[in-house]
Amino acid sequence: MSKNKFSVNGSFKDSVNTVKFLTERMHFVNSAEAVLPTRTDDFGVNKVAKSLHPKEQKLVISKIEKHSDIATSYFFKSETAPIAYFKAGQYLTFKFEIGNAVVTRSYSIASSPASALAGEYQITVKRINDGFVSDYILDNWSVGDEVTAYAPEGNMTYCPLRDADNIVAIAGGSGITPFLSLARAISQGDENCNLTLLYGCRTSDEILFKEELDSLCEKNDKINVVYVLSDSDEKGYEKGFVGADIIKKYAPEGNYSVFVCGPGGLYKFLETELPKLGIERKYIRFEVFSSGKKVIDAKDFSITVINRGKETVIKAGNNETVLCALERAGIEVPARCHTGECGFCRSKLISGKVYIPEGEDKRRVADMQFNFIHPCCCYPESDLVIRIN
Amino acid sequence: MVKNYDAVVIGAGNGGLVASARLAKEGKKTLLIERHNLPGGFATSFVRGRFEFEASLHELCGVGPITGKAPLLKIFREIGAADKIEWVSLDEAFRVITLDEDNKCDYSMPLGKEAFIAKLAEYDAGSATVVSKIFELIESVEKTLDFVEAIEDFKPSMIKEIFSEHTDFLKVANYSVDEVLKSFGASQKTRDILNAYWCYLGQPTDELNAIHYFTMLHAYIIDGAVIPKGRSHQVSTALLETFTENGGEAWFNTSVTKINIENGVATGVVLDDGTQINAKAVICNASPYNAYTKLIDEKDIPEKLKKEVNAKTLGAKGFAVFLGLNRSADELGLNNHTYFIYPTNDNRKCYELSKKIETNDVQATVCLNKAFDDCSPKGTSILYMTSIFAGDEWSNVSVKDYHKTKLSFAEKMIDNFEKATGVAIKDYIEEIEIATPMTYARYTDAPAGTIYGYEASKEDGIIKRIVFDLLDKGIPGLYFAGGYTVRHMGYAPSYTTGDKAAKAAILAMEKEAK
Repeated sequence: MSKNKFSVNGSFKDSVNTVKFLTERMHFVNSAEAVLPTRTDDFGVNKVAKSLHPKEQKLVISKIEKHSDIATSYFFKSETAPIAYFKAGQYLTFKFEIGNAVVTRSYSIASSPASALAGEYQITVKRINDGFVSDYILDNWSVGDEVTAYAPEGNMTYCPLRDADNIVAIAGGSGITPFLSLARAISQGDENCNLTLLYGCRTSDEILFKEELDSLCEKNDKINVVYVLSDSDEKGYEKGFVGADIIKKYAPEGNYSVFVCGPGGLYKFLETELPKLGIERKYIRFEVFSSGKKVIDAKDFSITVINRGKETVIKAGNNETVLCALERAGIEVPARCHTGECGFCRSKLISGKVYIPEGEDKRRVADMQFNFIHPCCCYPESDLVIRIN
Repeated sequence: MVKNYDAVVIGAGNGGLVASARLAKEGKKTLLIERHNLPGGFATSFVRGRFEFEASLHELCGVGPITGKAPLLKIFREIGAADKIEWVSLDEAFRVITLDEDNKCDYSMPLGKEAFIAKLAEYDAGSATVVSKIFELIESVEKTLDFVEAIEDFKPSMIKEIFSEHTDFLKVANYSVDEVLKSFGASQKTRDILNAYWCYLGQPTDELNAIHYFTMLHAYIIDGAVIPKGRSHQVSTALLETFTENGGEAWFNTSVTKINIENGVATGVVLDDGTQINAKAVICNASPYNAYTKLIDEKDIPEKLKKEVNAKTLGAKGFAVFLGLNRSADELGLNNHTYFIYPTNDNRKCYELSKKIETNDVQATVCLNKAFDDCSPKGTSILYMTSIFAGDEWSNVSVKDYHKTKLSFAEKMIDNFEKATGVAIKDYIEEIEIATPMTYARYTDAPAGTIYGYEASKEDGIIKRIVFDLLDKGIPGLYFAGGYTVRHMGYAPSYTTGDKAAKAAILAMEKEAK
């Protein structure tokens, strides 16, 4: 090996510096205080991170407002900590213990981000057919009850760097709530976009928040609301479904982004309607929803669940998701979106076969390679062995 | 409940994963605990719409496609993870552009020593001799480092060998990058190009230790760099798979609440459900901040360890913008894989400006399609931009101002990219995600959203840390792995320190058995 070939400040000085090399480090450490360092949680950045994304939130139902026989709004406050801030369009996931089952369900936040800063959330729950959890809420939740929610999540939010300045929001039924939040945020100066809200209902009786929406529309040039009724012909309302014609009639000039939130039928209809408008893909955003699996031949399977090294065997049908079977068996799973998108429930499929409906497989490439699944959008097609934790 | 293991590993970040995989491979009964639902820590990916974004990796050095001798590939092969990962080799080192109108620079450099020297000579005709000499020094220093790094069981007699056989190393050990390059007669332009990687260490070259920086140049330029096709998530998951295949147990969504220390020796951990895990070795991939303030009783922490943490300064805080573009890289004119965009060539000035949100204009940006075009659907491309902040100004951003502040800094980064490259991207953004120091704090519990561990200051460079680590091991039975250990934070260093931690633990177990 070459020796003494290189010199920075001459051989002697370099040698002196090398000795200094070690003594400097010793002095550097020895001159510091022998006390505990700052707690990670005490850095400003970490405090904000925790405030935006708490592990869970204990909320108390502060008010209940009944809109109709089938729709009710719930208001929440926290008695222990500030509630997490959010972006208009995001949802809250709640945890329920119903009988032996431990289930999670998500509801878009109807209130504005500003009201979260003031300590309040609002969600609206509608009674639907076979709505296991929505029925539970409507029949059981009372003022003063404590409920468990996770931090707000979801990506159907307005981003000026991505979306057009004009948003055409298409809401079906209770799908109005994320757009009510957006309209409120615009009126409070927290979002800066123009909103054309095309709100589809069967009859005018079913319209939620009509008074407030009309008032927001009247007081703010940036907000326009159009009601579209499918089942009744009433004066002052559009008749039909929100499709290409209605969108064309009310959409502003130039570029606009289409945001959609509503029941399954609305998505199916828009899948054929939106292409007629020639809108670029980047300008269309759907709040995702799960289409489910059409089962012709119902079968029962068993799932061996490995959780922290312990094995439990549960029953599962091929007409329900793996997550659904886990929840029914009372196994707590860190699920949020229930649509395959968020990835919180990601688990290892050690053996067996599952069916993932088309368009719902939103896994990472390497997760497919190593057989990790999102149980919320997987249906068993054989006996399974999975590791959830 | 009480369970017994040979080793328990806290955290499935890069350091924890390699440590776990090594321990299991060597037949040690190992439990890996991770509080998230995913392995990897920073090394992960996420899906938005039709794009899968790499969360943090720009290019991985240490796997070395050019020389085939890089240390990391050897580790991955030994523990059995190498074949599970599909690597793509890069040809290009970087393109560095300055925004400074009065002194606008734009240099594109290749990987590979000969190609790099030749290209540098095109920009700076007189550079060839001095650069060859610098590379000769870098290679000589690397040999010393290999020697020091390979020491598992330190004996004082080895110091003699270092002094007699590794004088090149000792000559430059205490100098900054600038001091060494200037003494060699490198011109300003040559230094501007050679120093372009400074933002990967977050430290200006007038104080950054020369040997530290040279090891990085060696790893990138001489050994070459790669990208895992399945993003860093593929590496993380491959390591986890290797670990479980070899009998390791990994528990996710599980937190460690305490590290047990008995008579000054780490003996195991307590989990969030009260489970007691007894182990002969505790590998800690959590930062010392978390270990000392949340996991270990203060009375059990030696004074020296407390002093060591307090003496150091936290490294750069991260910020990143992830863009899914609805045009191909070629259509847009994105011709490079790695762009370094700086306000000026003076990296001390860049560093000082990076202390404020208002004045920070540093970015390192990757167009993943230039590594492999099928990383996104046909007709689209993926671009991700990372900035680093010195200081802790993000701690002053309130919850109320958070979204606004994050959006406006992201917009500035996009504007700077367009200005520097002349490539228009703003109208083609189909998906966007923005990560702030708060995001890194959320997912990794990093203090202040740090992505670089500790600053590698003049007094505390990597080499000094390695030497001192050989002399003093801290708490017996407790081994730190990852970004806050002797090496700087980063992929290759974290993997490497994970392996070292595991080997040290195995050696101690073997000694104990005798």
